[in-house]
Amino acid sequence: MLEIRDLVKVYPGPVAALQGVSLDVSKGMFGLLGPNGAGKTTLMRIVAGLLQPTSGAVRFNGEDIVSDPRRIRRQLGYLPQDFGFYPHLNGEAMLRYLLVLKGVRAPQGLKRLAAELLDRVNMSYAAKRKVKGYSGGMRQRLGIAQALAGDPALIIVDEPTAGLDPEERIRFYRLLAELAEDRTVLLSTHIVEDISVLCPRVAIMYDGRFVADTSPTEARERLAGTIYQGAVAKEDLTEVEQRYRITQAILIEGRNQVRIHLSEGEAAEGGVPDGFESVPPTLEDAYLLLAQANGAGEADS
Amino acid sequence: MSAIARWWAVSVRDFRSGIRRPLYWVLLAILLLLAWGWSQGAVTISSGDATVGGERSHVTSVFAQSMLQCVAVMGIGAWFLAIAAGLVVIRDLELQVVEVFHSTRLTPREYVWGKFAGAIGVFFLIWFLYLGMSAVLNHIVVAGEDARHIGPFALGSYLFPTLVFALPQVLLFAGVPFFLGTWTRRPIVVFFFPVAVLLFTLGFLTTWSPDWLSPQWNRTLMLIDPTGYRWLNETFLTVDRGVEFYNTAALQLDAGFVLSRVVIGTIGLLGVAGAATSYAGRLRSGDSGSRFLAWTARTLRPIRWVLWPFRLLAWPFVRVFGRRRRADEVAISEATSAARALRDLDMATEPLGFWRAARVIGREEVRELVRRPGMYLFVPLILYQSIFTTLVAIGPFNSRLLLTSGEVAVRQLNTLSLLICFLLLFYTVESLHKERSRRLVEIFNSTPIGTGSILLGKTIGTSMVAGLILVIGVIASSMVILYQQLFEGSPVGFDVFPFVATWGGVMVPTFIFWAALVTALFAFFRNRYVVYAIGLFLTLYTAIRMAILEPFGWVRNWMAWNAVQWTDMGTFSLNGRELLLNRLLYLSLVPLLVALAVKWFGRQDRDATRLVHRMRPKPLLIGTVRLVPFALPGVTLALVLFFGGRAGRDGPAVEEAGKDYWRENVATWTDFEMPSVSDVDVELDFEPAERSVAVEGVYTFHNHRDHAYEDIPVTAGQWDPIEWTLNGEPHEPDDRSNLFVFTPEDPLGPGDSLTIGFSYDLEFPRGMSREAGGAGQFILESGIVLTAFTPTFLPTPGYLDNIGVDDDNSSEPRDYPDDFYEGETEPLFGWGGEPFTVRTQITLPEEYTANGVGKKVSDQVADGRRTVVWETDHPVVLFNVVAGKYAVKEGDGTAIYYHPEHDYNIEEMSAALDAARKYFSEWFYPFPWDLLKISEFAAFATYAQGFPTNITFSEGIGFLAKSDPRSHIAFMVVAHEAAHQWWGNLLTPGQGPGGNILSEGMAHYSTMLLHEQVYGDRYRIEFAKRLEQMYGDQRFVDSERPMVEIDGTRPGDGTVTYDKGGWVPWMLQQEMGRENILAGLQAFIAKYNPDSDFPVIQDMLAVLRDFAPDTVAFDAFAEQWFFDVVVPEYRFSDVTKTLEGGEWVVRGTLENAGTGRMRVQVGATSGERWSDEGDDGSRTVVNEDYRDARTEVELGAGASAEFVIRAGFEPERVVIDPDVLVLQLNRDAAVFEW
Repeated sequence: MLEIRDLVKVYPGPVAALQGVSLDVSKGMFGLLGPNGAGKTTLMRIVAGLLQPTSGAVRFNGEDIVSDPRRIRRQLGYLPQDFGFYPHLNGEAMLRYLLVLKGVRAPQGLKRLAAELLDRVNMSYAAKRKVKGYSGGMRQRLGIAQALAGDPALIIVDEPTAGLDPEERIRFYRLLAELAEDRTVLLSTHIVEDISVLCPRVAIMYDGRFVADTSPTEARERLAGTIYQGAVAKEDLTEVEQRYRITQAILIEGRNQVRIHLSEGEAAEGGVPDGFESVPPTLEDAYLLLAQANGAGEADS
Repeated sequence: MSAIARWWAVSVRDFRSGIRRPLYWVLLAILLLLAWGWSQGAVTISSGDATVGGERSHVTSVFAQSMLQCVAVMGIGAWFLAIAAGLVVIRDLELQVVEVFHSTRLTPREYVWGKFAGAIGVFFLIWFLYLGMSAVLNHIVVAGEDARHIGPFALGSYLFPTLVFALPQVLLFAGVPFFLGTWTRRPIVVFFFPVAVLLFTLGFLTTWSPDWLSPQWNRTLMLIDPTGYRWLNETFLTVDRGVEFYNTAALQLDAGFVLSRVVIGTIGLLGVAGAATSYAGRLRSGDSGSRFLAWTARTLRPIRWVLWPFRLLAWPFVRVFGRRRRADEVAISEATSAARALRDLDMATEPLGFWRAARVIGREEVRELVRRPGMYLFVPLILYQSIFTTLVAIGPFNSRLLLTSGEVAVRQLNTLSLLICFLLLFYTVESLHKERSRRLVEIFNSTPIGTGSILLGKTIGTSMVAGLILVIGVIASSMVILYQQLFEGSPVGFDVFPFVATWGGVMVPTFIFWAALVTALFAFFRNRYVVYAIGLFLTLYTAIRMAILEPFGWVRNWMAWNAVQWTDMGTFSLNGRELLLNRLLYLSLVPLLVALAVKWFGRQDRDATRLVHRMRPKPLLIGTVRLVPFALPGVTLALVLFFGGRAGRDGPAVEEAGKDYWRENVATWTDFEMPSVSDVDVELDFEPAERSVAVEGVYTFHNHRDHAYEDIPVTAGQWDPIEWTLNGEPHEPDDRSNLFVFTPEDPLGPGDSLTIGFSYDLEFPRGMSREAGGAGQFILESGIVLTAFTPTFLPTPGYLDNIGVDDDNSSEPRDYPDDFYEGETEPLFGWGGEPFTVRTQITLPEEYTANGVGKKVSDQVADGRRTVVWETDHPVVLFNVVAGKYAVKEGDGTAIYYHPEHDYNIEEMSAALDAARKYFSEWFYPFPWDLLKISEFAAFATYAQGFPTNITFSEGIGFLAKSDPRSHIAFMVVAHEAAHQWWGNLLTPGQGPGGNILSEGMAHYSTMLLHEQVYGDRYRIEFAKRLEQMYGDQRFVDSERPMVEIDGTRPGDGTVTYDKGGWVPWMLQQEMGRENILAGLQAFIAKYNPDSDFPVIQDMLAVLRDFAPDTVAFDAFAEQWFFDVVVPEYRFSDVTKTLEGGEWVVRGTLENAGTGRMRVQVGATSGERWSDEGDDGSRTVVNEDYRDARTEVELGAGASAEFVIRAGFEPERVVIDPDVLVLQLNRDAAVFEW
């Protein structure tokens, strides 16, 4: 169980990256969703013991991580948002080096384990190539392999699918889902689809605070019957924006498809624009509405 | 936006970043310190007159500024430039900002040139601040009470050197590292450039200038020297041109030099252009590595075996820290590709233990280092430097040294320590920064490996570099010694002990401390530029302080600079205790530094608010208290060294006692004329292991003057208690701060005698020393050397005016009247009065041999103690005691006592001593004593002293000179010192100007004669040319005085005393004739030995004149060479040769561009004069093919004359003074060759 209590982080400036957040995360996959600058990475780095908070407490399975970050390192698999490797090593050697540092053991030996881990992330073909020649996606997969290695009780992955092609994303989803069965996985992303697919529970962060702690299903159900979608001519878009709360405006086959949120009352009073039909809500609708409610001018999508 | 605007934007951005960088602040601080130091006149051109009111060369002149700016850029600026410019692109690449930049219209070339301009822009800002501050300090503040070194302000004196000397260097030292950094993207390679160039330039280009170097090669070296210093030095400074010239003349550049400066600056700019090309190419290709490097690697693959020696040496490190391949490990290709669940892998995590984790990290560091080019560049470079400086080492009298293992090890100690510290600084910082620069830091820091393991592992890796250099250094040194053995006939073999003792015991603690300090600094600041700045400052400041300024004491001498003086007779017997404490001090600081490093190392980014909270008094106090156990040993050792040094032999207590002595007695006793000592009888009971001696003795004073003495002062050392007797009765003299004044009941009348007795125990050297250094006299296990010059072990009669005198209370040199030598003159050295007899009884452990002056009358051993008695068989003016564990070589009335391993030159030295005794007795005065002996002592000081019958030689003089048959170094030093038996002892010079020339100059003249006698003209000529060269190089034109006025107080007096002092009697011999001068010298010595009047030059000339066949010519010669300062300098012009009537006729013009009027021979020659055929190195052999024809020309100052030489052979060259009979300047330039 990961317990976060009243966590505050103020960077010199001052910039309040975390404004007293509290959270309990039990075994399984937990998603952190939020726009850039919401404080997700700061939170992840504090939990990983890489950043000292200004105040507050973080405990994992009852152990205080803030006062002694060494405690978390023994049980941690961590994939940061931005990382690199020693360019002169090949992928297998690099991974094996990290496995040794993490104290990973396996009956088949580390070399075979490294090979199998690379196989799991579909990197066997590049195992003997030097890391400096890797593409962004290959580096990301090598990073994923090291994060999943061992038997970490807590896995923290920050924007893990960045740079992955769709096929690799699915492969990664499966690996992560498997791991989450018997441990805590903290997934930070601004890609709503990652959360929808993987996380039974999600916290939405904005401006250093949690603005929601829910599940994707619950979030969707709350909006049931309130989302309408219709085509809007380009010249009418501004008027629609002024009159309705738009959750998403996307181009489909060259036409503006706009999704708006109307309360049951508003819909009943005939507020549904012409040509708009009720559609099932998505997690993205919920996230974007929350973001708007918290004053975000523009949310990621 | 135009290209220029974009370039400007990049430049300004980088300039603004640069001026905030601590690296530059430190540079500014160092340069401002230098500006202050130089404004005090600490360093300026060696010229001018140092006496009060004398003209000095200006530190503000264009010549001085050129010299200083050369040094400042090369010695200091180059390091900062290389780091600042070399890493500027690497940093952007690490920050991954370049792709964003180039998504704009900014082109790679604009970017690269902009970055370069920004980097050197900051340097120039600092440079001009430095120049401005120099000008302010020099011309407005006018620092220092004596500002004769400050000239009028001239802007050009500051800016012209910057343009000519600084600018090309700045471009080079910024441009080339900039290229290397951009091209290789490896910081280590960036550091390589300044290290390589500095070593090559400072260690060779600017300093290496042997006599035999041809002008063409010299010119070539001048032009390739990036500093320009060699050109400046060889063109203007080596031969003193006088202070007037340096202070007022313009610095005239020649076309070749200007072209060289342009080329050097252009190389730097080409480096930037190359960087732009490389950068643009790689940006286009998207290649992250250098294609050229890859190509080089491929091309060199077939010869990769050349790296095997390095890899072989590195192998043990890799092996030790490596990990054995596990049997169950298989190749990646064997791995299954079938998709399976992660849980099938059965992974588990068990964090590594401390040592295993350190080993894993260390192994990775070692492997990376072995793969990197840096080590293969640095290691040979450092070895080149340290070995080269050893090979060119010279000893006293410019003798080449015989390289023993100890000498080789210790001579490399400072250089290796400094260079390896630089290297460790670079490698440690880059290693600690590695994960951050490669963005692996978060993954790395999230692993469960301990911080201590990380730091230890990285230290192991970088330490391997130091270890590898030391191992290769030992091997290379053994090769040097082996080469000496095989190809130069050296008898010295290799011994690993000195390397283990000095490199292992002294250097390794330095490296451990330094690595820990750099790690702690990095952990604290987390900024590599700050650490580089601090590290460079510490190393450079330490080196400058220890090598040039006032050296650190034992407490602060962290690099153990100059801490070891090697002697085969017991290196650590003098300062071993202090050195041990110093090493322990710095080792004891390592745990503290490690604790701090572990505490501060950035596994976790600190929170500023928490940090502020921690700075509150209570947490700070608690944190400090926790560190106390770590700091306690270091503080304790530092206190022991500090207070031990203060209480020791060169501490303030001793200084203050000396001052008290001076204060209390200077007014009363200066110039007090003592009665003679007629007899000395002392008994000395030594315990060398305890540095102690029990002394008991009696001096008999005899009043040889015509007035009575009421008081007799005697100076004693700080020996307490001293039991005195007067005429055999206990007595308590008046103690005036160690000047003990005896007042007999009845005054000591003319012709009367009295005795003063004394007994005491003393330790010498007493206590600890404050700083590293040698000792001229000592009682040590390695041996004993004591002289009666000063009260080191025996009281000295009278008041000594050099005790307690330093810069604060020193007085101006005494002004002697022209006729000061009339009447009785006091002796230059010795106890004054008439010569006396000495009986010395020495008791010490039986394994020692003890030598005193005179004749050994008994030598008995009882109960493991030897007692030897020496008695003078002819009166002496001084005496000494020397002892050691000796072997002995006996000659014809001579003996040499030497360290048993130092028999290398014994035959040559013994032959020289025999020859000296024989011929000097014939030429000057019969040797009146029984035995002439030389005794060797440990090289804690490098000197030789010719006490009567008992000459002492430091081991570096003669015993360890390289016995080159062509130079006869060992012969030369023995002959010189032996000559002091006549010129010093039998003929003791008088006190006053010119006196010392009768000792040192005449000893050189005697050596010249002996060279001629024993080895013939060839070697006499070589010796004479060597003296002439030294005189030309070391004389100070402005302050040089006639020989009769030389009193040793001015710079340049030394070379006049020794070198000119040896040459002028030689020329006088040509004037008078050999037999006449020798007869005159015999009469001279006979007249003044024994006498209570001690002669000076005028006395000698008065005697010699009677033996001159032409007194007019004699007077003219004496007037020129003794009473005036003249030196001819000859030049040929319009030289032709024609065949006329079967003979060759050579015509030409000879000019004397110098001063003085001398007859000089001009020779037309053919073939080589000297032959090595049939010459075993001991005698001159003239080549059968050699021909010469001569004429004689007499020229006054500035005069020219045509000459004609008729020869029966075709001449190949025309030379001046073929037999080297006339002292002159630039002899090598006065040669005409067809």
